[in-house]
Amino acid sequence: MSQTQHLHMRGVRKSFRFFGLHDLDLELEPGQVMGLVGPNGAGKSTTLRLVMGMLAPDAGQIHLFGHPMPEAQAEAKQHAGFVSADMRLLPNATLGWHLRLLSSIYPDWDAAYASVLLKRFNLHPEQMARSLSLGEQTKAALLLALARRPRLLVLDEPTTGLDPVARHEVLAELMDVMRDDSRSILFSSHNTADVERISDRIAFLDRGRMVACDDAGRFIERWRRIEVQLEPGSALPELPHVVAHQVDGSFHVVTTDDFGPWHLELLGGSVRNVQRMSLEEIFVTSVMHHREARP
Amino acid sequence: MNATSGITRALALKEPYLNRWAMLACGTAAVLSAGLCAFGRVAFNVGAIGWLTAIIACGVMLAIYGVANERKEHSLQFVLSLPVSPRQYIRAKTIGMLLAFLPPWGAAMLAAVALVLLSPGVPDGMLPFVCVIGGFLLANFALVLCGALHARSEGLMVGVIIVTNMAVSIFMFVVGALPGIASHMTGPVPVWNDTVAGVLLAEAVVFVLALLLPQITAARRRDLL
Repeated sequence: MSQTQHLHMRGVRKSFRFFGLHDLDLELEPGQVMGLVGPNGAGKSTTLRLVMGMLAPDAGQIHLFGHPMPEAQAEAKQHAGFVSADMRLLPNATLGWHLRLLSSIYPDWDAAYASVLLKRFNLHPEQMARSLSLGEQTKAALLLALARRPRLLVLDEPTTGLDPVARHEVLAELMDVMRDDSRSILFSSHNTADVERISDRIAFLDRGRMVACDDAGRFIERWRRIEVQLEPGSALPELPHVVAHQVDGSFHVVTTDDFGPWHLELLGGSVRNVQRMSLEEIFVTSVMHHREARP
Repeated sequence: MNATSGITRALALKEPYLNRWAMLACGTAAVLSAGLCAFGRVAFNVGAIGWLTAIIACGVMLAIYGVANERKEHSLQFVLSLPVSPRQYIRAKTIGMLLAFLPPWGAAMLAAVALVLLSPGVPDGMLPFVCVIGGFLLANFALVLCGALHARSEGLMVGVIIVTNMAVSIFMFVVGALPGIASHMTGPVPVWNDTVAGVLLAEAVVFVLALLLPQITAARRRDLL
């Protein structure tokens, strides 16, 4: 574990009655944006709650800014902001009261930035938290997290329930945060478009296991869908790194997670088309491949 | 003030603010009920029930809205996202809930004491009994709070509330019948004897233990959500 790492998770396990997180490894360096992508019940929220010390791992180690979690969470959370789509502010208090509470807790509280965000998100300090809509709750929670000027933002489905305009505002704000390369973001989302837009590292989770983790660019670069038309009666040659294979007569569609010139050499003139894949296609194929391997 | 005491203080002080309307409503209801007791026998009975109900309801509302609902309505995630450890959270919650309960309880007690000492229709000998009931209601709140800080299900929370509410009637029946209390209740002067002291001491012990237990057990929980 390097001294500058914001997050270091190694061999983390967490079991519940009907769900378990298995041997999770994650690392996050300053300046990185990591997107956790996974279907419902993949373990994204559990992972982020473990990072914030709200849950304790059954096994493995978690260090946040070098502090062991959850033991030293009070120190570590001084530098982290957390927002979750299902998180709610304290209902009987105004947004202004929340702003005052946090400004009294965080020495680096940026009141001027909080004012800017209030205007940008069209929120008002006089609003009672219980009267805020779902989208306003998320934006208010994000405002309260951002104005702390945290070194790490941990965001659990931050764009869920937001209308397209609000989603754009939130993502734009996150990208603005990343202008400062000493900060990092760890966030989860179902929305692969959001993840693709702001992440420079992406991890796929499924059924409590890490399916894949790589740089966003490398995912797009490595994955290909190859369409092959074989001569009748001939067989598809043995290809490396195949994660999906569909057959319709002598027409084959092969998906690989590590495309290279050897694929074209092995297939020769039978290749009809080679397509890049969207992150969503990569994610779905990756998860399906993982499930076939672990039924 | 260091960061640790600062966050505990900030979180404790949020409780009276967030529960201000419940505190005001219950405190006012208890004082008005005590005032009603001065107007004859029937009014005394109605007022006494109102007084008891206001204090019990205050404790129950604080436990439900301040502790159980914080978890149920996902505000706990917001609180736990702050730089706070489970130990600090439990300590702040205990102090904060006490700060929220003590003003209405104190107002109710002052009103009841004033009623006994100033109302010619109510014998002054009742004062020790009023005090042991007040002490019991304080200890009872500590037990409800202790249950709320441990309970992770609504069912368990409801169970704690039912049991502690039943305990009020049982306490009044049993303690009100103790010779050291019953024989002086209608007298012209308050009698502070060993029986009264013993009951108050037992209440103080229950109060302290109920507040300490969550600091030892709930504060050690590794999963707070």
